[in-house]
Amino acid sequence: MRNWILSGRAGLLLLAVVLALAPLGFGNPYHYDIAIHVLINAIVAVGLNLLVGYAGQVSLGHAGFFGLGAYVTGILSAHYGWHTLLSIPMALVVVAVLAFAVARPILRLSGHYLAMATLGLGILITIVLRTEGWLTGGPDGMIVPPIEILGWQLFGEAYWYALMAALLVLAVWLALNLIDSPVGRALRAVHGSDVAAQVAGVNTTRYKVLIFVVSAVFAALTGALTAHYSGFITPDLGGFMRSIEFVTMVVLGGMASTFGAIVGALVLTLLPQLLTGFDELEMVVFGAVLMAVIIFMPRGLVPSLRTLIGRFLR
Amino acid sequence: MTHLLETSNLTKTFGGVHAVADLSFGVEAGAIQAIIGPNGAGKTTLINLLTGIYTPSAGDVRIDGRDTRGLPPHRLAGLGLSRTFQNLQICMNMSALENVMVGRHLRMNRSFTAALLRLPALRRGDADCRRRAAELMDFVGLGDLTERDADTLSYGALKRLEIARALASEPKLLLLDEPAAGLNANETAAIETLIRRVAELGITVILVEHDMKLVMAISDRILVLDHGKQLAIGTPAEVRADPAVISAYLGAA
Amino acid sequence: MLSDFLQFLFSGLTTGATFALVALGFTIIYNASHVINFAQGEFLMIGGMGTVMFAAAGMPLLLAIAAAVALAVIAGMAIEKFAIERAGQADTIPLIIITIGASLFLRGLAQYFWGKSYHAVPAFSGDEPINILGATLLPQSLWVLGSMLILVCLLAWFFERTLSGKAMLAVAANKDAAQMVGISPRFVLLLAFALSAALGAIAGVMAAPITLTSYDIGIMLGLKGFVAAVLGGLGSAFGAVAGGLLLGLMEAMTAGYVSSDYKDAVPFVLVLLVLFFMPGGLFGAKSTARV
Repeated sequence: MRNWILSGRAGLLLLAVVLALAPLGFGNPYHYDIAIHVLINAIVAVGLNLLVGYAGQVSLGHAGFFGLGAYVTGILSAHYGWHTLLSIPMALVVVAVLAFAVARPILRLSGHYLAMATLGLGILITIVLRTEGWLTGGPDGMIVPPIEILGWQLFGEAYWYALMAALLVLAVWLALNLIDSPVGRALRAVHGSDVAAQVAGVNTTRYKVLIFVVSAVFAALTGALTAHYSGFITPDLGGFMRSIEFVTMVVLGGMASTFGAIVGALVLTLLPQLLTGFDELEMVVFGAVLMAVIIFMPRGLVPSLRTLIGRFLR
Repeated sequence: MTHLLETSNLTKTFGGVHAVADLSFGVEAGAIQAIIGPNGAGKTTLINLLTGIYTPSAGDVRIDGRDTRGLPPHRLAGLGLSRTFQNLQICMNMSALENVMVGRHLRMNRSFTAALLRLPALRRGDADCRRRAAELMDFVGLGDLTERDADTLSYGALKRLEIARALASEPKLLLLDEPAAGLNANETAAIETLIRRVAELGITVILVEHDMKLVMAISDRILVLDHGKQLAIGTPAEVRADPAVISAYLGAA
Repeated sequence: MLSDFLQFLFSGLTTGATFALVALGFTIIYNASHVINFAQGEFLMIGGMGTVMFAAAGMPLLLAIAAAVALAVIAGMAIEKFAIERAGQADTIPLIIITIGASLFLRGLAQYFWGKSYHAVPAFSGDEPINILGATLLPQSLWVLGSMLILVCLLAWFFERTLSGKAMLAVAANKDAAQMVGISPRFVLLLAFALSAALGAIAGVMAAPITLTSYDIGIMLGLKGFVAAVLGGLGSAFGAVAGGLLLGLMEAMTAGYVSSDYKDAVPFVLVLLVLFFMPGGLFGAKSTARV
C-alpha cells in the first residue's frame, strides 16, 4: 500500500480525478483560461524535470524550444497554408532536430558553463524570432489560425481544457514510466555519479542527449498548441524570463519529482494572478517570494510533503 | 596460463610527469592480483587506465587479447570489466537497491520506447533485476537495507554497496580500489571474506589496497609500484623477500 | 575605410570596458563562493538611475554618483546577507534562481520608486566629439575607458597588497585551508558582494551618458557580463577583462560591417562557439576529474 502510494501511480489517478472535477469550480471562461495556462506550464515543467531534476542537467533556455515550436507551426499554418495536423508535427521535428544537433557539444559542459550555453541558445532563438520580421512579424508578433480537424475548428476554452488536461495526464504517465525503468535509472545515475554510471555500462553522453531532445520536444509540442490556442504569438514566448520561470517551476515544486513540477507550475502560474492586487509592486513581491521559497524550502514543496506522508504511513 | 588482462609498456603522463611508466604485466584469469605501493605510486592512475577513465599516453591494455585503447568506460563494461572507487561514487539521489540495479544496466532491456510505454516484458525484466539486486545486497551483507535511500547508509555499508553494484553486471574482472580504506578491523575482516567469496565465483579480482595484512592474506600475486614503475611482481612470499621492495618500504621509513 | 574601422574600434572598446567591469563583478563573487550572481546587472542600473535621481533631487553630480554607488553597495551586501548566506549549501540551480529573484526585486523597486521612463545623464566633460583620423570619439568614452583602467589597477593593488584582498584570494584558492588559518568566508563573501556592486555601479554611471539609463537596463548588461566572464574562463580576472573587451569589439564590428540587427546575438554566438571548442573558456583552467 505504502509502496503503491509513493510510486506515483496513486498520484496519477488523483491527478486525473482532480483535472476531471476542476471545471465544476470554474465560473467563467477566464477561469478556464488560467487553468489552461497552468496545464501548459505543467507539461513543459514535467518534461524539463526529466532533464534538470532527474538527469541533473540544467537548461536556462527551454522557453526557446517552446517559442520555436509555436512559431514553426504558426508560420507554416498562417503563411504557407499547411494543415495544422501537419504543421504541429513539423514543429516537433524542427525542434527535435535542432536540439539533437546542439545537444552533444552543449552537454559536454557542466555547471555554470552548461547554464551559460543553454541560456545563450534560448536567447539566440528569440533574437532570430524578433529580427526576421518578414516571417515572424517581428517583436509585434503574428496571428495564428486555430486547429482545424475535418472542417471543425477547435475553439472554446472547455475543449482546450480537456485536450491539455489529457495531454498532461499522458505526459505524467510517460514520465513516471520512464523514471521507473532501466533508462530512467541510468539517467538518475548520470546525476548521482556520472563516472559510476559510465563504469556500469551507461553511455552517459547518449542518455543526456536523449533526454535533452525529449524535454525539448515536450516544450515544442506545448508551444505549438499554445500558439493555436491563443491565436497570437510574440517572441517573448521563448524569452529568457520564460526559461527562468520553467526552471523555477521545477525547483519550486521539487527537483526529481514529477508531481512537484506540476505543483510548481500551478504556484508560479497563479502567483502573478494573486499579485495583481499589488499593482506596481508586483515584480518586487514576485522576486521576494521566489527568494523566500527557495531559501526556506531548498528541496521544494512536494519532496518535503512526501517525506511527511512517508513517515506517517510507516 | 592465460592472461585475462595484459598491459604492455603502459604509460600515462600528466604535464610531463610520469604517473605510470612503461608497465607490462599480466593478470591470470581467476586470480586475485593485488597492486600495492606508497602514496603517489600511480595505483589509482593505473586503475583509471585499465577502466578507460584515462587514455594511455603510450602502450596498451588488452582484455582477452583484445586491444582496448580508445574504448570509453561504458564499452569496457561491456567487455566484462567492473570496478569500485577509492572515494565513493554512490548515487545519493537513489535508493540503495536502485544503485545496485544500475549496475545491471547492460543486462537490461534498454529500449526507450519500451520504457516510456512500460511494456510487460520490460516490467518482468525490472522485477527480475530487482530480485537479483536484492540477492546481491544480501551477498555483500546488506540484506536488511534494501529499502533504504543510499544517503542514509553508513560509510562501511556504502563500500559494500559499491561492490554489490560492481557485481551486478556479472563481470569477468572486478577492480577494487582500496575497499578496506577507512574501515575498522572487524569490517576489514568481513571485506576479506567477501573478496574471497567473489573470487570463488570465478571472478578475477584486481585489488588496490594499503592494508598489507589483507593484501598478503588473500592475494595470489602482487604487483609493487613505485613512482609509476614496476618495482616487483610475484607471489606474496616472493614480494616480501624482494630486496627492492624491502628497501622501498623499510628504507624510506 | 580607416575612419570607419577606428569608429567601430572606439565604440567597441567603450562598451567592452563596461562589459569587462560587469564580468569582473561576476568573477569576484564567483571566486568567493562559486555563485553566479544574476543580479549583477542591477548594480549598473542602480548606479545609472541612482545618479539621475539624486542629481534631480538637487545633489551635485559627484555627490549623486557617490550616493548611487553607496546605494548599490548596500543592495549588494543585502543580497549576500539576506539571501545568499541564508541559502547555505544550496545547489547551483537554486542559487541561480535566488539571485534572479534578487534581481527582480531590485528592478521592481527601481520601477516603483523611479518609474519606467528612460533618463539621460549629462556627459561629464561635454559632448564635443574629438576627431581622430576621421573618426569621432566622445569624451565620455575616455571616462569609461579611463575608469576601467583605474579600477583594474586598484583591484590588482587590492588583491596583491592588502590583507582583505589576500584573504579573498586565499578563499578562492582553497576555502577550507583559508578557514583554518582564520579567514572568515562570510566576511570575504560580504566583501565580494560589496566590491562587485561598487564596480557595477561605477560602470553604470560612466556608461549612462552614452547609452541612456532606465530601470530595466540591467537584464541585458548582466547577461552580457556573464557571457564575458565565461568567455574568459570563470574565475579568471584577466579572462574577465579580456572577455569583456573582446565582446565589445566583436559587437561593434558586427554591427558596423555585417548587420546591426544581430548585434545582440553576437555575445551568445561567440560564447557557444568558444564553449564548443574550449569547454573551460579562453583562459580557464583545464580540469581533470579525480575519481
